[in-house]
Amino acid sequence: MSTDYGDADTFLGVRLDRFARLRETVAGDYKATFGLTTVVLFVLAAVFAPELAPYDPMAQEYAIMQAPSLSSAHPLGTDSFGRDLLARMMFGARISLGVSLGAVTIGAVVGVSLGVVAGYFGGWVDDALMRFVDVLWAFPWLLIAIMLVAVFGQGVWNVVAAIAFAYIDDFARLARGEVLSIREEEFVLAAKNVGLGDVQIMVEEVLPNAVAPLIVQFTVLVARAMLAESTLSFLGIGVKPTTPTWGALLGQGRSLIGQAWWISIIPGIAIVITVLGINLFGDALRDAFDVRGEGGSP
Amino acid sequence: MGIQRYVAKRTLQAILVIYVVATAVFVAIRSIPGDPARLILGGDADADAIAAVRAELGLDEPIYVQYARWMADLARGDFGASIYTGEPVLARIAGAAEPTLSIGLVGISIAILIAIPAGIVSATRRDQWEDYVATGVAFLGISMPSFWIGIVLLLTVGTAVPAIPSYGYASISEGVVPWLSHVILPATAVGLPYAGIITRMTRSSMLEVLGEDYMQTARAKGLPPRLILFKHGLQNALMPVVTVAGILFALLLGGIVAVEMVFGIQGFGRLLIRSIERQDFPIVQGSVIVISIIFVFMNLFVDMLYMSINPKIKYGGGA
Repeated sequence: MSTDYGDADTFLGVRLDRFARLRETVAGDYKATFGLTTVVLFVLAAVFAPELAPYDPMAQEYAIMQAPSLSSAHPLGTDSFGRDLLARMMFGARISLGVSLGAVTIGAVVGVSLGVVAGYFGGWVDDALMRFVDVLWAFPWLLIAIMLVAVFGQGVWNVVAAIAFAYIDDFARLARGEVLSIREEEFVLAAKNVGLGDVQIMVEEVLPNAVAPLIVQFTVLVARAMLAESTLSFLGIGVKPTTPTWGALLGQGRSLIGQAWWISIIPGIAIVITVLGINLFGDALRDAFDVRGEGGSP
Repeated sequence: MGIQRYVAKRTLQAILVIYVVATAVFVAIRSIPGDPARLILGGDADADAIAAVRAELGLDEPIYVQYARWMADLARGDFGASIYTGEPVLARIAGAAEPTLSIGLVGISIAILIAIPAGIVSATRRDQWEDYVATGVAFLGISMPSFWIGIVLLLTVGTAVPAIPSYGYASISEGVVPWLSHVILPATAVGLPYAGIITRMTRSSMLEVLGEDYMQTARAKGLPPRLILFKHGLQNALMPVVTVAGILFALLLGGIVAVEMVFGIQGFGRLLIRSIERQDFPIVQGSVIVISIIFVFMNLFVDMLYMSINPKIKYGGGA
C-alpha cells in the first residue's frame, strides 16, 4: 500500500502535507491538544528545572524531616529527608524523560536496522534475524534489568539498556512488515536495475516509506518506557536510590504511606499525566499518518 | 508448505529459541560478581568450608562441564534444586506461581469484563459522549503504572473496606472468599491498564467490522440491529481481540511483580528477585526457562489460532 512520493516535500521521510494534517488534527481535537500541551509543559519543566525549581532537590530541611507535610512553603510536600518534592520531581523529570527517550531511541535504531535488513533480503537472513528477535522477545525485560543491576550495579545506563532491549523486537517486527510490502514496489525494483547498492536502497528508498508507522510506534513506546522506568525504580532495581526519578520517589514514599500519602501519590500523578499526554499525542499522530492497529508489548 | 510441516518447523524454532534463552541466562547469572558458596556460609567462613560447599554444588568444575551437566539434566526434565533450601526448582516455582497466576487470571478477567462492553459501546456510539468517556478512561488506564494503581487502591478501598485485606495472600485452598478478597485489589491494579488496551482494540476492531460489506448486507436484509451487532459484528470483531488478550497474559508479568511488592505477596516476582540477589542459580535458570516456554508457546499458539480463524494468512514465508 506504499507509494513513492517522488519529489514531494518530505521531512524525515514523512510528507509535509501529513504534518499539515497533524496540525489540523491537533488543533481540532481536545485529546491531541491536551496531549501535546502536557508533553511540552513537562519537557520545559524538565529542561529548565535548575532555573525553575523552588529549592535545591538535594537540600534537606532537618526541621521538617520528622514530620513531612504539605505547606505553603512546600506545596507538594517534602519527603522523609525533608527535601522538597516539587524540586525533586522537576529534576526527576529530566531522568525519567531522558531515560525513556534514550532507551526507545536505541531500541528503534537497533530494531529498525534488524527489521529492514531481514525484510529486504528475506530468505535465510530473514529467518536468522527474526529468530534472534524471538530470543530477545522471549527474554523477560524485567529479568534483563535485574541481571544488569546484579552484574553492573545500579545506574541510569542499565535501565536504558534493559528497556532498549525490550523494545528491539517491537521495532524489528514492525519495520520488517513494512519492508516486506515495500520491497516489491516498482521504485525499489527500479533502483536495483539502476544499480544502486543494497545499503543505499534500504536507507534511501525503503526506509523513508516505512517511517510513518515507526514514528507512531516510537511515541507509544516512549510512553511505555516511562512506565517501565518507574516500575524498575520502584522495585529498587533502577537508578541509584539517591537519584530522584518519579518511580524512585514513589517507591520511597511507600513505607510512609500511612503518614504522608502524597509522597507516593503526587509523583504517580505526574507519571500518569505525562504518559497520558504522550499516548494521546501518539494517537493523534496515528490518525494523522493514517497508521492502523495498536499492540506490542506493554 | 503444508500446515503440518509449518507447525513442525515453528515448533522446532520455538525449542531453539528456548535453548538460546536458557544458555544466555546460564552465562549471564554466572557473570554476576560474587560466590554463592560465600553467600550461603556468610562473610567470615574459612576457605576450606567454602571450597567444600563449592564442590558439593558442583561449582568448582570448569564452566563447560557445569553447562554440559545442566543441559543433560534439563533434557531429562530435571531442573535441579535450590542451592539454599535443596527444594526442587519446579516445586519452588509451582509454589510461588499460585498467587501470581491468581492475580494474572483475575486481573485479565476484570479487564475483559470491563473492556469488551466498553469497546462495543465506544464503537457503536462513535463520536458521542459514551465514546468519549470510554476513550478517556481507556487512555487513563493505559497511562497508569500498575503498582501505582495498587497504592491508590490500598489508600482508598483498602482503608475504607475492612473486609478487603490490604496485605498478603490466601491460597484458594483456604476458600474462595478469603482468596478473592486478597486477590481483588492487586488483580484490579494489574487489570486496569489491560482493560484500557483491550477497550481500544475492541473499538477499532468493531469499527472495522461495522464497515464490512456483510454488515451492510445484513442491514439491507432488514435483520434487527441487535441481532446484526451481536451475531455478525461481535463474532468477527472479537477474534483478533481474544488472540491479543492471550499474548497479553504472558506479558502481564512485569506489572504483577511490582504489584506483588505493593501488597506484600510472596509470588513468582519476589522469588525471582530474591533468587537473583542470592545467586540461587538453579532457581533463576529454571524460572527463565519456564517464562520463555510460556512466552514462546503462547505466541505459537496465537499464530496457529490466527491462521485457523483467517485462512487467508499464508503459512510459509512469514513469521
